[in-house]
Amino acid sequence: MSDVHEGLDFSTVIASTVHDMKNSLAMLVQAHGQWQAQVPAELAHNSAQGVIEYEFARLNGMLVQLLGLYKLGVNQLPLRPAYHELEDFIEAQLARYQEVLDSRHIVARCEVEDFQLLGFFDQELLGSVVANIITNSIRYARSALLVRAWQEPGHLVLSICDDGQGYPPAMLAGQSNYVLSLNHSTGSTGLGLYFAGRIAELHERNGVRGHIQISNGGPLGGGEFRIYLP
Amino acid sequence: MADYSNTRFLIVDDFSDFRSSVKAMLRDIGARDVDTGDRGEETLSLCRQKRYDIILHDYNLGTGKNGQQVLEELLADKLISHQCIFVMVTAESSQAMVLSALEHEPDAYLTKPFNRASLTQRLDKLVERKAALKPILQALDKQDPAAVLAACEALIREDKRLVPLCQRYQAGALRELNRHAELEKLLTGILADRALPWAYLALGSLLQTRNELARAQELYEQALKNFPMLPGLYDGLAAVLAARGESKRAQDILEDAVKLSPLAIRRQMQLGKLALDNEDFGSASKAYRQAVDQGRNSRFKSPESYLGMAQALIAESGEDTLDKRAQADIAQAMGELDKHYGDDKVLQVRATLMQAKSLQKSGDPVRAAKLTEEAVAGMAALPQFFSADAALLVASQLRELGQTAASNDLLKSCVEIYGDDPAVMQNVAKQTDDPQILAGGQEAVDFNRQGVRAYQLGRFGDALELFRRGLALQPKNISIALNTAQSLLRLGGDKAEADLLDECRRCLDAVSMIPPSDPRYERYQQLRRRAFEQ
Repeated sequence: MSDVHEGLDFSTVIASTVHDMKNSLAMLVQAHGQWQAQVPAELAHNSAQGVIEYEFARLNGMLVQLLGLYKLGVNQLPLRPAYHELEDFIEAQLARYQEVLDSRHIVARCEVEDFQLLGFFDQELLGSVVANIITNSIRYARSALLVRAWQEPGHLVLSICDDGQGYPPAMLAGQSNYVLSLNHSTGSTGLGLYFAGRIAELHERNGVRGHIQISNGGPLGGGEFRIYLP
Repeated sequence: MADYSNTRFLIVDDFSDFRSSVKAMLRDIGARDVDTGDRGEETLSLCRQKRYDIILHDYNLGTGKNGQQVLEELLADKLISHQCIFVMVTAESSQAMVLSALEHEPDAYLTKPFNRASLTQRLDKLVERKAALKPILQALDKQDPAAVLAACEALIREDKRLVPLCQRYQAGALRELNRHAELEKLLTGILADRALPWAYLALGSLLQTRNELARAQELYEQALKNFPMLPGLYDGLAAVLAARGESKRAQDILEDAVKLSPLAIRRQMQLGKLALDNEDFGSASKAYRQAVDQGRNSRFKSPESYLGMAQALIAESGEDTLDKRAQADIAQAMGELDKHYGDDKVLQVRATLMQAKSLQKSGDPVRAAKLTEEAVAGMAALPQFFSADAALLVASQLRELGQTAASNDLLKSCVEIYGDDPAVMQNVAKQTDDPQILAGGQEAVDFNRQGVRAYQLGRFGDALELFRRGLALQPKNISIALNTAQSLLRLGGDKAEADLLDECRRCLDAVSMIPPSDPRYERYQQLRRRAFEQ
C-alpha cells in the first residue's frame, strides 16, 4: 500500500476542472442560443452579441487546447490519422465561426489548390489547431480571412492569413522556441503556437515530422500562419 | 445545400432543450420529417418501425445504452441500412468514448455546442459522400462482397478522392471472400505509403488467421510504436501472444488496453479469461465484473462473463470459506444468468454446478449436494456438448463436489471429442492420471495426423482411409469427423455416390452436438450444407 493522503497532482486537478468547464460552457452556449432565438431580430444582432459569440469560441478553443496540452504532457494524446478532403475540412472549421465572422463583417475564404486534394492527418487535433489560429486571426483581421491548402514536395501546407497588422517582430524572431516567446508576448498567442507546433510534430512520415511557420505579409498583407504536414 | 424535404431524421438526446434546438435548425434547412427520442432503447424500437436516413445521436444518454452501444446494435440487427447517416453527438471528445469505438464507427462525430452552419456543412458533406459511395453501400446491404469489390474498383477509377474510403471496403470484402493473398498485398501496399491504424489492425488479424504468429507479433509491436493510444492494437497483440503461449505477457498487454479504454465488454472478458489461466484470480474477477456491468445494456453481454466472475470469486478465496459479499455476488450473477438465458440447458447445468460449488465453499454441504445431483441429472439430457473449456471446468467441479464417476465420464468424452487438441489433453492430465482416460484418444489422433498429411499431399484416397480408421476409434471427435466428411465430399465430387454421401451424413450427424461457440462450427455448417443439399 502506498502512503495515504498523497497530494493530488495539480495538473490532474486542472485537467478534470477543465473538463467540467467545457461542459459548463457548452450548456451556456446552448442556453444562450435558445434565448437569442426568442429575442426580436433587431435586438439579437448587436455588437454585444458579437462579443459574446467570439468570446465563447475563444474560451472553448482555449479549454480544448489546455486539455490537449495536459494530454501531451502525460503522453496521452491519441493520434488517429486518416485521409481527409481538405476543402471539406476547412469549410467545417469556418462554419464553426460563421456567426462571429458575420457579426464582425469579416469575409472568410477557402482556397484549395486542387479540389481533389486529400490530406493525411488527425482531424480532431489539426481541427483544434486551426480553430485556435482562426480565433486569433479574427481578433486581428480588419475585413478578410483566407485559409489555403496546397501540396509541396513532401509536404501538405495549410495556411491561415488575415489582413491585420501581423505578428510582432519579437515573435517572428523567437520562432524556434515558442515557449520562450511565451514569456515575452502578451496574451496566450505563444501558447497557441507552441500547441500547434507540438501537434505538427506528432504527424510523421518516414522520419520526417511536421512543423509550423509564421510570417508577415502574405496574400492579405497581415499575419500568415502555416502548418506543414509530411 | 442538399434538399432535406424528404429526408427522414431522428434526433436522440436526453436534453429536451437540445432536441428542440436541433429540430429547429433542421426545420430551417427544409426538413419536414423529424422524429425525436430520449433514450437509446427508444432508438432501437423507432428504427424497427421506420427507416431513417439521418440519425443524430447523443453519446452519453445518462441511463441505459450509450450511443456507441446503440450504433453497434443497430448495425448488428440490421435495423439501419449502410446508407443511413449516423452522426454521434458528443459533449466532449472524451478519450474513453472515442477509443472504445473499435468496429463500428459512426459516419461523423459532432461536438456540442454546434451552430446551424456547422450542422449544415457536415450533413451536406455526408449526404454527398454517401451518394458517391452508393453502389458500395447497396452491395453491403445485400451482403454481396463480390459486388462490393466490383463497385470499389469502378469508383476508384472515377474519383481519386474516394480511394482511401474504397480501400477500406475492399479490404473488408476480400477478407469475407477469404482472398488472403490479395488482401495482404492491398494492406502491405497501403502501409508502405502511410501508417494507417485500420490497415495495421486488418493485416495483424489476417496474419493471425493464417497462423503466422511471429509476423503478426512483429507487426503489432511496430504499429504500437506509431500508435501507443490505440487499444485495438493491444487486443491484437494480446491475442497473438496468447496463441503463442505467452499468457502472462498477453495479460499485461490487455491490462494496458483496459487502462486506455475500459469500455469494451469483449476486451474485459478476454482479460478475465487470461487472468484465470494465469491464476490471477483477483484481476480475473475484476475484469469479469466489468464485463457483467457493461453488458447489462448491451447485446454483447455474454453468459461467460457471469460464469467467469463466479469462477474467479470462488478461486480467489483459496482454501478459505467464501465471504458473504462474494456469496451474494455469485448468487446474483447466477440469478441474472438464469433470467437472461433460462432456456439454455447447457448453461443451466453450468450455473447449477457453479452455485453448488459456491454453497460447498460457504459451509452448506447439504444444499450443495442437492444442486450437484440436479446438475448431474441435467447433464444426461444435454442437446449439445460443452465447449472444451467448459467441460474441463465442469469436470473439476464435479470432482470437488464428490461426483468422481460423473467427472471421469465427462473427461472421457472430452478426450473423445477434443482429444486432438494438445492443450485440452494437457488440462485433462491435470485432473486425472487414469491411463484409460489419458491414452483413450492417442491412436485415433495419430491416424488423424497422418490423414491430414496425406490430404495435404493430395493423396485423398489414403487420407480418407486414415480418417476412417481414426473415426472408428473415436466417432465423436469433431476434427476427425469433419476431416472424414470433407475427404468423402472431395472424392465424391459434385455428384457423389449414394453410399459415400450416406457415410458423410452419418459422420456429420455423429458430431451434431458441436457447440455453436466452437471455432469449427462454421466449417461444420458448410460441410452439412454440401452433404445434405446434394
